[in-house]
Amino acid sequence: MSAVLRTRPAALVALAVVTLILAWALVPGLFTGQDPIAGVPADKLLAPGAAHWFGTDHLGRDLFARTVHGTSLSVRAALLAIGVALVAGSGIGLLAGFLGGPVDDALMRATDVLLAIPGLLLSLAVVTALGFGTVKVAIAVGVASVATFARVMRSQVLRVRHATYVEAARLAGAGRGAVLLRHVLPNAAGPVLALAAVELGAVILAVSALSFLGYGATPPTPEWGSLVAEGRDYLAVAWWYSTLPGLVIALFVLAVGVLGRALTRETRTDR
Amino acid sequence: MVPNHPSRATASPTTSPETRTSTTRATAVAAAALAAGLALTGCAGPDAASGAASDAAPAEPTPGGTLKFALGAAPQGVDPQQVGSNVSIYVARQLADSLTDQDPETGEIGPWLAESWDVSDDLTRFTFHLRDGVTFSDGSALDSADVRASFDAIAGDLGAAAPLAASYLAGYEETEVPDEHTATVVFDEPNAQFLQATSTVSLAILAEETAAVDPAERLQGDVVGSGPFVLESYTQDQGAVVTRREGYDWAPASAEHEGDAYLERIEFSVVPESGVRAGGLASDQFDAVGDVLPQDVPQIEGSGGAVLTRANPGVPFVLQPNLTRAPLDDVEVRRALLVAIDRQELVDTVLSDAFEPATGILASTTPGYADLSDRLAFDPEEAGRILDDAGWAPGPDGIRVKDGEPLEIEVTYTPVFTGSGPVLELVAQQLRAVGVDLTLRQLTAAEQTTAQDSGDYDFYYYNVTRADADILRTQFSTAQRNLSLREPDDVVDPLLDEQLGEADPATRETIAAEAQEALLDQALAVPLFELAQSIGVRGDVHGVTFDASSRLLFHDAWIEQE
Repeated sequence: MSAVLRTRPAALVALAVVTLILAWALVPGLFTGQDPIAGVPADKLLAPGAAHWFGTDHLGRDLFARTVHGTSLSVRAALLAIGVALVAGSGIGLLAGFLGGPVDDALMRATDVLLAIPGLLLSLAVVTALGFGTVKVAIAVGVASVATFARVMRSQVLRVRHATYVEAARLAGAGRGAVLLRHVLPNAAGPVLALAAVELGAVILAVSALSFLGYGATPPTPEWGSLVAEGRDYLAVAWWYSTLPGLVIALFVLAVGVLGRALTRETRTDR
Repeated sequence: MVPNHPSRATASPTTSPETRTSTTRATAVAAAALAAGLALTGCAGPDAASGAASDAAPAEPTPGGTLKFALGAAPQGVDPQQVGSNVSIYVARQLADSLTDQDPETGEIGPWLAESWDVSDDLTRFTFHLRDGVTFSDGSALDSADVRASFDAIAGDLGAAAPLAASYLAGYEETEVPDEHTATVVFDEPNAQFLQATSTVSLAILAEETAAVDPAERLQGDVVGSGPFVLESYTQDQGAVVTRREGYDWAPASAEHEGDAYLERIEFSVVPESGVRAGGLASDQFDAVGDVLPQDVPQIEGSGGAVLTRANPGVPFVLQPNLTRAPLDDVEVRRALLVAIDRQELVDTVLSDAFEPATGILASTTPGYADLSDRLAFDPEEAGRILDDAGWAPGPDGIRVKDGEPLEIEVTYTPVFTGSGPVLELVAQQLRAVGVDLTLRQLTAAEQTTAQDSGDYDFYYYNVTRADADILRTQFSTAQRNLSLREPDDVVDPLLDEQLGEADPATRETIAAEAQEALLDQALAVPLFELAQSIGVRGDVHGVTFDASSRLLFHDAWIEQE
C-alpha cells in the first residue's frame, strides 16, 4: 500500500479526502460549532461566506454543519450496506464454489436473478417492503449488491479449490469446514475485499439516491442525499443548497474509487 | 382523503323569481350570504379573484389551444364527489356542475343546474327546480332521477369513500322526485348548511349510471358529468387530460361568458418540485402552475408571467391531536403548544405574502370566523411556564421529561401542499426551543387512510376548505370525522350540533363563535397558517378564475392565439 501511495499522488490525495470525511463522521463537533438542526430563520438562504461556508438553507440552518453532521449517518449506512453485501455475498459464493454441483447451480441461478434486476430498482423494492429509515435503506442497498460479491467470491474459490495445498490439506485429513475456512477463504478473500473498497463508492451513491428519494432519515435529521433533495426547490435562488453537499458526495465517491483501485492493484501484485 | 374541502360561502336562495321562501327567512338568509360575500371579497381582493384576465390589456378571447398545467401534488382521483384535495378538485371541478353556484365576488348563491329552489321554514325540505336542456357528456338529459341517484349514493355506499360529501348530507332521509324537473331533498332535522353545500364540488350532480359504479373505478375516471370539459385520460400520480365539451350551454351567472369553454384541451401533469414548476413556466413548458412558493415568484414574474392568489376559507392548516395517546392526552401540553409556535415566522420564512398566520380555528375568510388571535399569540415563556406547572421538567438534552418519559410528539402528514415539509420542520425547530421534540412522519396518499382508520398518529396535520362554519362540526364532532378520537362531551358537541339547526344567521354565528372558543379551550387543534392558492400563469394566459372556495375554474380561460 505504501508503495502505491508513493508512486501515485492521486491515491495520496484520495486518502487525505477519505480520512477527513471519516473524521467528520466520527467527531463532527470538531469541524463545525454550528447547530445542524436549529437554524436562525432570519438568516435563511444566505450565500456561502465566512460565517456559513456552505451557505444556509431555507430555515436558516448552516449547510456546512448539516453536511458534516450528515456524514456519519451516510457513511455508516454505506458501511453497513457493504457489510451486508460482503458477508451474505461471500457466504453464497464460498458455498457455491466449494460445494459445486446442484448447490452451485441453485445458488448461482438465484444470484443471476438478482443480477437481472437493476440494483437501484431492487433496493427500492426492498426498502418499500422494509419501511423507511437509514438502516433499512442500508440493508436494501446491501441486498442489491450481494450478487456481485457472490460471483467474485465463487470465481476465486473455483481458482483455489483444486490448488495443491488445498488437496494436500484434504489428504492430510482436514474436514471440509476446516479446509473451507482455513485454506480456501483466506486465499480467495483478497480480490473480494478489494471489490468492497471499489463498491463503497457505488454504495454511497445508492444510499444517497434512496435518501434523495425520501426513503432515508426523517427531517430534520441531515443526511447527504436528503440535503441534495431539499435543495431542489431552491435551485433557481440558492445554487449552493444542493450543489455543495452534492460536491462532497462526489468528492468522497471519487476518492474512495481511487483508493479502491489502488488497493485492487496491490492485491494483484501480491499474487 | 386529505381534507381540503370544496365549497363556497354560506347559504341562501336569491335571484330567481320563482324562489318562494318565507319572507323573514329569505331576508335573514340573504343577509348571511351578503356577509359571506363581504368576508370573501374582503380578504381575497377583487384583482386576485378575477384572475389574469384583467391584467395587461387582453384582447378579445381567442378560442382554441391547449393549456398545460403543472399540479403541485398528485390528485387522489377525478370523481368530483369523492376527492377533497385542491389539486384533485382542479381537475374534477371541470367535469361536473352543481345544483347551485356561489358567486366568488358576492358570496351569493345563484342558480346553476337548478334554476330555482324553495326551502321549508324548518330547514328540512329543499326543493330544486332543474334547468331545462342540460345534458351529460354521454348525451343523456339531466333529470331529477340523477339528483336522487347522486345523493342516495353519497348518503349510502359511497359515503365511506366521500366523507365530506357525506357530512354535507348528514340527516339525509330521501330525495323525492314528483316530476323529472323537480327534486326535493328531505332531512330528518334542520340543515342550515345544505343550500351552500349544493354549490360545492362534493355535491356535484353526476349521471344516474355513475352512482352504480364502484367508488374505486369512479376515482380512476369512470364518471359522467355535465361540466364544460370531459375527461380524456387520467393516470394515477402522473396527470390527467380533459377536452372541451361541445354544446355546453349552462354556465352559471358568475362565469364571464356563456357557451363552450375557450380552451380545447387542458393537460394536467404532476410536478412535485416547485422549482421545476416555476422553471417550466419560465421556459414555456407549462402555461400555468399550482402552489407557487416565495422563492419562485421572481422567476415567474421575470418571465412575464403573473401569480394569482386567493385565500382559502375553512379550517386552516392545523395540528390535530390524538387524545388517546400520551403526551397529547394532557390538555396542558396542548395548551402550551398553542402559544409555543411563532406563526408569523412560519409565513415569513417558508411561505409567501399570499399566506396569513392562523388567528383562530377557522380561516379568517370563513363566514362565522371568530378572531382568537390573543389566545394564539407567540409566547414561549408562557409555554414553558405551562409545561413546568404540568410537571414537564427540562431534561439533559433540552427535551422536557416527566416521569422518565421525554416530551416527544410525532406529526403525521401527507405532502398535499408543497410548503408542508418546510413549515413542519420550522414548527419542530420552534418547539424544540421550549423543550418539545416534534418529529415528522410523511405518508403517501395511500398510507394515510390506513393511518387515519387505525388512529396511528399523535398529531395529524391537515386543512379543510369550506366557506361555512359547519366545517367545525364535520371535523371535530365526535359523531363525525373526529380525528382526535375524542369522547363525546357536553360542551363542544352540543354547540356544534346546535349551529346546524339554527335558522337565524346571527344566532348561528354566535353559537359557532362559542364553539370555536370551546375547541381552543381544550386545545383540540393547534392552528398554524391559512392556506392560500398561489397560481402562476404565463403572460398570454387569461381568464383563469377562482371559485368561491378558491379552486380553479377553466371555463373562461383562454390563451392568446397567434
